This record gives sequence, C-alpha cells and structure tokens, in this order.
Amino acid sequence: MKVDLGPVTRLEGHLNVKTIITNNIVEDAQCVGEMFRGFEVILRGRDPLDAQQITQRICGVCPYAHAIASSYAQENAYNLTASHNGRILHNLIQGANHLYDYLLHFYQLSALDFVDITAVLKYTGKDSDLVKVKAWITAELASGKPYPAAPFLPRLSGKYVDNDEANIGALKHYLESMEIQKKANRASAIFGGKFPHATGIFPGGCTQNPDIDLIVSYQSLISEVRDFIHQKYIPDLVTVAQAFPEYWEIGQSKGGFMSFGLLPFSPQSDSRRLFAPGVLLNGTVSAVDLEEAITEDVKYAKYSSPSGLNVRNGELDPDPGKASAYTWIKAPRYNGQMVEVGPAARVLVDYHQGNNQELKNMVDHFAKIAAITPEKLNSVIGRHLSRGICAALIADFLLAESERLDPSKPGCVKIDIPATGEGYGITEASRGALLHYIRLKDHKIEKYECVVPTTWNCSPRDDKGTPGAMETALIGTKVETPDEQIESVRIVHSFDPCLACAVH
Amino acid sequence: MLDRREFVKLAAALSTAFGIGSFPAPVQAVLNKIDPATIPKIIYLQGLSCSGCSISLLQAESPSPLSMITDYSQLAFHADLSATSGKQALKLIDKFISGQAGDYILAVEGAIPEKMPDACVIGHKTFAAYLEEAAKTMTAAVAIGSCACDGGIPAAEGNLTGAIGLQEFYAKRNIDKIVVNIRGCSVHPDWVWHTIVHLVKVGLPELTEDGSPELFYSKTVHETCPRYHDFQQEIFAEKLGDQGCLFKLGCLGPLTKADCSSRWWNGGRTWCIDANAPCIGCASPSFARKKNVPFYRLNNKA
Repeated sequence: MKVDLGPVTRLEGHLNVKTIITNNIVEDAQCVGEMFRGFEVILRGRDPLDAQQITQRICGVCPYAHAIASSYAQENAYNLTASHNGRILHNLIQGANHLYDYLLHFYQLSALDFVDITAVLKYTGKDSDLVKVKAWITAELASGKPYPAAPFLPRLSGKYVDNDEANIGALKHYLESMEIQKKANRASAIFGGKFPHATGIFPGGCTQNPDIDLIVSYQSLISEVRDFIHQKYIPDLVTVAQAFPEYWEIGQSKGGFMSFGLLPFSPQSDSRRLFAPGVLLNGTVSAVDLEEAITEDVKYAKYSSPSGLNVRNGELDPDPGKASAYTWIKAPRYNGQMVEVGPAARVLVDYHQGNNQELKNMVDHFAKIAAITPEKLNSVIGRHLSRGICAALIADFLLAESERLDPSKPGCVKIDIPATGEGYGITEASRGALLHYIRLKDHKIEKYECVVPTTWNCSPRDDKGTPGAMETALIGTKVETPDEQIESVRIVHSFDPCLACAVH
Repeated sequence: MLDRREFVKLAAALSTAFGIGSFPAPVQAVLNKIDPATIPKIIYLQGLSCSGCSISLLQAESPSPLSMITDYSQLAFHADLSATSGKQALKLIDKFISGQAGDYILAVEGAIPEKMPDACVIGHKTFAAYLEEAAKTMTAAVAIGSCACDGGIPAAEGNLTGAIGLQEFYAKRNIDKIVVNIRGCSVHPDWVWHTIVHLVKVGLPELTEDGSPELFYSKTVHETCPRYHDFQQEIFAEKLGDQGCLFKLGCLGPLTKADCSSRWWNGGRTWCIDANAPCIGCASPSFARKKNVPFYRLNNKA
C-alpha cells in the first residue's frame, strides 16, 4: 500500500515522505521537499555584504550557520583574514546556536515520539510547572472541545516510554529546556545583536566589541546551558536509548559520511577545527574537495537546468510541472557517492581521524555502556546521542574560547570588496555540512550557491537511481501501523530535517 | 474572545476605514478576563518561510511560550510543535478550516507564491488553497513576520515565485477579512503574543495605515534610539565596530517603524544597534526589496 507521511511535523518546513508498504515493511521511500523560494537567484546582482544577512533567512532555526558560512566565503573571496577576536566571536555565536538547536531538537522536536506526556495526569508532586500542565491537560480533556490539549495531543499510535517517573521527568525537562534554549540564544545575541537573524556578523568578525561585561554575561549563560546538558540532556538521551534499544539498529543510512569541520582554532581558513573535516567512505577518511567533487543531480528534482553540475557552475531553473520529478530538493553527491551529513557524520569523521581526544573518549564510553560499536552511531539513537556528544564538547570549548577574547581589541576588521573574485565557505550547521560559494563581478554578487545539510540528507534519487541518505535509512524498516508509521517518523526526526534549508 | 458577529462588524468597519485611508476607531473592550473555556484557537500555517518567526516566538519572556499555549490561547496546530503528524494533522487542519471545529484565528508565517502555487504545498494541497478556504471560516488572520505581511525576502527583486504577503493575496481575490500585520524578520515575540492577547482581551488593536498595531509600530527605530543623542551631536560611526550613530554605515532606523530601540531583544539584554550593527530595516514593508538598495554603505566602489 502507498502511504504519504506528510506533512511530517516537528521539523523545519514542508516535508512529505512517500512510502510503499508491503507486509509491514517500508519497501520504498521518497523524500519530498514541498517548498521553493529561489534564494540563489535573489542574491544575484546584490551587494556582497547583503549575503550574510539574506542567507540567514534561508533558515530561522540555524541562521548563524549561514551567516558564518557566508562570512567565510566572503573572506575567501576578499582575501581577508578575520581578526583574532573576530574569529572567536564567530565561534561563540555559532557554537551557542548549536547548543540551543540540539536541545530544541531533542525536547521539542523529538521527545514526543518517545515520551508519554499524559503520564503527567498521575503527577502528585509540587513542581509548579508540572502542576500547571497537569491541571491544564485535565481541564482540556474534560472540556468537550475538539482537539483538547493540542498541540500535545492527538499523537501517532505506538509504544511510548511506560515508566511514569521517566515520562514526568522528561516533561519537566521539556519545559526547562525551553528556558535553557533562551539562555543559549541570549548568549549568542550578546555578540550578534539578536536571535534569530543576527545583524552583527560580518566577514572578518562581529560589530560588537568584546567588553568584559559582555564576556562575563556570555560565560554565565553558557555555564547554565552546559550544566543542563550534563545533568539532564545526556541522562535523558541515555534513558531513551535504554527504553528503545532496538533503535540502535533502525534507521541506518547506506552511504558514506561527510563533515566540513566546525569551530576553527585560529583565523586562518585552513586552521585546525574542534571537529575535523573529512569524507568517510568504507572506514577511510579523505580530505574534502570543494572544487570538483560536489555535484548536484536534478533528474528527480523540479528543475529544468542541467544535471550533475558542480558548485561553481550550479544553475537554478524551476520547473514545477516536471514529469520525472518528485521533489524540490536537488540530489548532491560527493564524487558520485551518496553521503549522510549531520551529528553522526561529524562525530564519526572526527573519531576516525583521532582529531579530538575528548570526542574519542566520549564515543568509546557510550559504546561501552551500550555495548555497541562506534559505527552504530549510524542509527536513530546514534544520531541523537551524537548530538549530545557534540553539545558537551562545544559547551566546554565555548567557555574556554571566550577566555581567549582580548577586550582591548575590536571585534571586526576593515572590509575591502574587490571588483572580482570567488570564495568557498564551509562549516557545520547543527544539521551538518554547509557550503556557501560566492562569485563577484563589478563589486556585486554575480553568483551565489548554497549546498545545505538537509539537501544531502533528504536528497532524492540521483540520476543513476541511487536513493538519498534518509531514503535508504527508511527503506526496509518494519512498521506496526502502516497508516501512521511512528517508526518512520522517528527515523525522519533523527536526521532533524530542515526543509527551508534543503531547498532554499 | 470576540464572537463572530462582533468580528464581522469590526471587519466591515475596518475595511471602510482602510478604504478611506484613515485609522479604525479604538475598539471597546468586550471581555476583560480571559475565560479558559473560550480562549481562541490558533491554526498556525507556514508558507514560504524559514520558521524564524516561530523560533522567535519561543524566545518570549512574558508571557512565556507555555503560558501562551495554556493560558492565553490554544495552539491547535503548529507544524513545529504539534505531536500530531501526517494524515492525522491534515484532518485536524481541515476540520478547523472547513468550519467544523469552531472559531479560530489563522496565524500565517511566510509568503505566498502567487505565480507558482506549487512552490508551497501542504499535504497535496497548495498553501494558497488553504488560505482561500480559511478566509471563509476564520475569525481574523494574523500575518506573522515580514514574509507573511509583504512577501519579505522571497518577494525580493528578481524572485521566481511571485511571492506576496497575505493582505495582498486576499485583496487580489476581493476577500474582505481582517489581517493584522506583525512585521519583522523575524518578529519580536512580544509583538505577536501581545497582539493576540489584545485581540482576546480588548479586541482589534489600533492599526497603522500599513495594518500593524500602533502599539509597536508607531515610531521609527531612529526616534527612540539610545544613540539619537549621538545623531544630534553628529557623532557618527565611521567604520564597523564604532560607537556612535550608525547612520553613515547605512542604518535604516530612520525609515523603519518598530519599537526595537525601546523594547530590545532576547530578554531585553541586547538589540542590533547596541551591538553596533546598523538596522537593516527588517520591519519595513520594503525590507530587502531592491537589489540596488543595499543594507550597508560600506561597498563604496559598487
């Protein structure tokens, strides 16, 4: 039978997944991006310094990743090196955004797939938030109105955590995490101006000067976030992993992994990063090639432009009625190979290079207690846990990094925009490898291209017919209720898709 | 909340007011206390959007997002938060939009691809079709963010989808419905939540001629800017990172109506100009519209 899972909620944007179910097995899956805006065309002919502002509006969940990728691309095109403070401020802003995003993803976007929120009806304690939610749900259910207790009910049928204490604890953390996310965002806004969509991020640095007053506020906020990560987020991840151990086996993508590396240690563009870049294929990591290796197929995407173009030559001619196409998402490939990007890729690519000893220790620790191999990070639980590992490492890094600011120096550098030039900027958004490319002509943008994490993960078939990462992770999954497929929804959520990013 | 009859009357009064280009009269309070049994249900739909406004709404301090959901309104559907998904979610949306689930306020984030309706689809139906259908049953609409109000960046010069805002979308179809415009890219959470509370407790807020609540959008960023004194003293920032009035760097505060300069952002700790970042006019109806009107005056050779 054919079942469409769209609109899949609790992710960013418009995603449908077309499935074919035979004997309760997902026999086929197609990821369908249902929204198109055309940012790359909108950017042509504009002032290059508009780019880090406009591209943030690709995604309101991870805007800073786009601002940073754009800034790197512009630095590359302008032959500009960020100042000491400038690069640190970029890191502090982007890193805090990662922390918020991991918490948002686990609690608001994913927890309701696992946690039984109605357990709060049995709550007998005195926590004011829980008492309030209990009273509210009780009143809602008795009200006789249509759809009581929305947006928390109704929900898909399936097995949820059946331990009241765990459910109530998770609900409490769901609520607390919203306060903690605000703190992470407040921290980044101290230097970026506001969240979402910071106006203070520029190529070479940030407009805010790092006074000690601001540094102290930043550190205090990030410390609170760090405590939450260690005391609540990671234990909650472990609880879910223990309650759903089968999800170490479910949702495995069947290609390689790619990470562009995250949080550089110095202003130089080739600086070592907290998370190392690389492409992991069959257990071997190689360096990332941006010039030729990355191409985008469009046989199954709604564009009439040629297929298989590399980034520099990318084109964008929308063709909504294209007969062979099923999605607005292009199919990016690395040397023709399908790869997964995102937290598991970020962790595995670094792990295999031995770049970050702390990361290796954490992976080995969790592998030991869960009795798995690191390769099992390629799974629903593995992606969730990888986010926890990233969160812990980034929080520590940000606290140390903020100590390295020099309050006597400015946060940015003078920018001279050349008449011509081109540049690539790569970083890791929370959802994975992000690339921006800019080319200038007459001091304006001649061409701008973005290859975005969810473009990789929710990719359709390429021209050869090879499915994208999430499609392969879905195919073969056993589902209890074919009409609803909570199992498939959990797989989709583990990738944390952002459809506004994927198509842009 | 206002009952339907009250709103219909208001709608008529408002459209007349719009027609002659003046402001609607202040609306009398019809309810002073929020009754949890009759709080308005909100159906929140996204079009050509980045979800930045939704994310901004979660940064609210007072009321908190939880309190907005439990005390001041009922978020019947929001794609980013709802537990429901897929067919079950479509059924819920359809029940409201077909008028079978009682009164509701339609919250819209994102622009509408007027010339390419297939550029935004929710469950096999275009976003535009949902908006047309909802117009028949909703009490009022709140357009959240610059994309929903005026098209925003998806409507910038050279765009391929013909993106427009909700008010224009309805005007083109001769649909006469109240649309309250909450501009900003993204919106400040207070602007939206407080407008919704105003709708519930008092009724329609006074609107500017652009259809935005006077309460938040009556003055320019420049007028109440903490650096207005620098402007008067002609103390100007000459390069990025400088203190002083940011006008010479391209600050669009003088052309942008919003209360950022007094409200501040993210818990009141900061805002663009406090971070020495020029205002880029994100709450202006013409935000980002023209290629030859850059955000900054830093690229002098162009």
